[in-house]
Amino acid sequence: MKRIEEQTYYEVLEVSPTATAKEIQMAYERAKETFHSDSLAVYSLFSEEEIHEIQAAIEEAYRVLMDEALRKGYDRSHLQSPGGQKWEDPSERHGIPWEKRASLSFTDLSINAGEEIYRGKTLKQIRERMGVDLKTISAETKINMKILEWIEEEAIEKLPALVYLKGFLRGYAQSLGLDPQKVIEGYLQFLSDSKKK
Amino acid sequence: MAQTQNEDPKFIWTIGGGKGGSGKSFITANIGICLSKLGVQVILIDADLGGANLHTFLGILPPSLSLSDFIKKRVSHLQEVLIPTGIPNLQLLTGAQDLLNAADAKNVQRRKLLHSIRSLEGDYILIDLGGGNSMSVLDFFLMSDGGILMVTPEPTSIENTYRFLKSAFYRRLRQSVSSYPVKTLIERAMDRKNEMGIKNPHDLLKAVMRINEEDANRIIEETENFHPNLILNQVRSKKDIEIGFSIRSACQKYFGIRLHYLGYVVYDQEVSNSVRRRRPLVLENTKSRAAQCVREIASKLANRHQMAFRF
Repeated sequence: MKRIEEQTYYEVLEVSPTATAKEIQMAYERAKETFHSDSLAVYSLFSEEEIHEIQAAIEEAYRVLMDEALRKGYDRSHLQSPGGQKWEDPSERHGIPWEKRASLSFTDLSINAGEEIYRGKTLKQIRERMGVDLKTISAETKINMKILEWIEEEAIEKLPALVYLKGFLRGYAQSLGLDPQKVIEGYLQFLSDSKKK
Repeated sequence: MAQTQNEDPKFIWTIGGGKGGSGKSFITANIGICLSKLGVQVILIDADLGGANLHTFLGILPPSLSLSDFIKKRVSHLQEVLIPTGIPNLQLLTGAQDLLNAADAKNVQRRKLLHSIRSLEGDYILIDLGGGNSMSVLDFFLMSDGGILMVTPEPTSIENTYRFLKSAFYRRLRQSVSSYPVKTLIERAMDRKNEMGIKNPHDLLKAVMRINEEDANRIIEETENFHPNLILNQVRSKKDIEIGFSIRSACQKYFGIRLHYLGYVVYDQEVSNSVRRRRPLVLENTKSRAAQCVREIASKLANRHQMAFRF
């Protein structure tokens, strides 16, 4: 029973201290969605002030854990308690180890990124924060490297026809653990806005 | 308080929380049938104060025998008021709502009833508590081996579920502490506008720590061991499914409790069709999407010790 300010960053995001960047990204997006001011799951339980405190803790945890150097420093100072005993693993504390969650049928979830607009630059930023290179995504999704680059560079004139673009965006989003629907909608909205300008 | 560590292989589940219409009776009846199909003896108990009609979900007429026949000593043993449902390994007990509703139903009586229920010859006992929030309902929820909260992805249902959970949580804490000032503090803390400025369980713990450290440690222990379960009903989208995970996270951050998200049941017209035909869904339309969801949840309950309250 810890207050939000007493929780480790891993506990705040409900991930294991061994979580990969991809897992942290997914956890962050889920936490952002959960503790959004309009979220059905929180508005009747927390005061506005409490929600803001949690949101700030989520942002701070994400900022530190997605930066390799900051995370290493944090781990050195926080993951070893004064008595030399290790902190509890939050993913274990929640009953289902993170890596096993995928096997539960009802965890086939879409991950929403709140109000984030998925334009090419945003997708590139997320990918880089996760430490995933385009080559890996290309190998995983079988999408040509050039097309992935055009998507990220927002090279509107070079992008394939809409029907194909949607398929590529879906594959790209899935490989990063993002909600494909939101990514497609966000990207197409960005394209439409750009064309108007 | 029930223990899972004891030798009794019987397991009592209570299904409560939320509001009327969230599907408690539907899930009780259909999970009961799924479990009975595993070859274990299952007893369903109707304790819904708002409208006891579990029999309708099982496709049988209102039973003539009920718990009151046992309480009024018209039969000598509770086993005698069990109604056969026509489904192998599945029996029904109605009328528990009369006792829960009685204004003079003292804790001792409730414990006696629970003791009698525990002595029934069955492997799984599922009690449909309905949408009530009374002390009796809360005590039944807390005294069982595992409590399940039924919720639909709607604000009203979620609000009611939190209200139920808060009441159950604080009642559990109040029962666990020994000093009178701490008991009083917990009672007053339940009112969010209390004069002591206690807004949440964390504030409460801090206040208790100042009065009685031993009780504060009990509160920490009770919180760690309180593991209610959640089923989300009538989900229509992936976003709805996520609400269950969000509720779990919110409970972790607010109460510090670990809520098990048992699963969800999709919105399916076949549910309504089966209720109208007075035929249980899992028998009537086994391949429907909702029936598949129910079966999946039932299989998790069959692995019961993972989902226990661990009192």
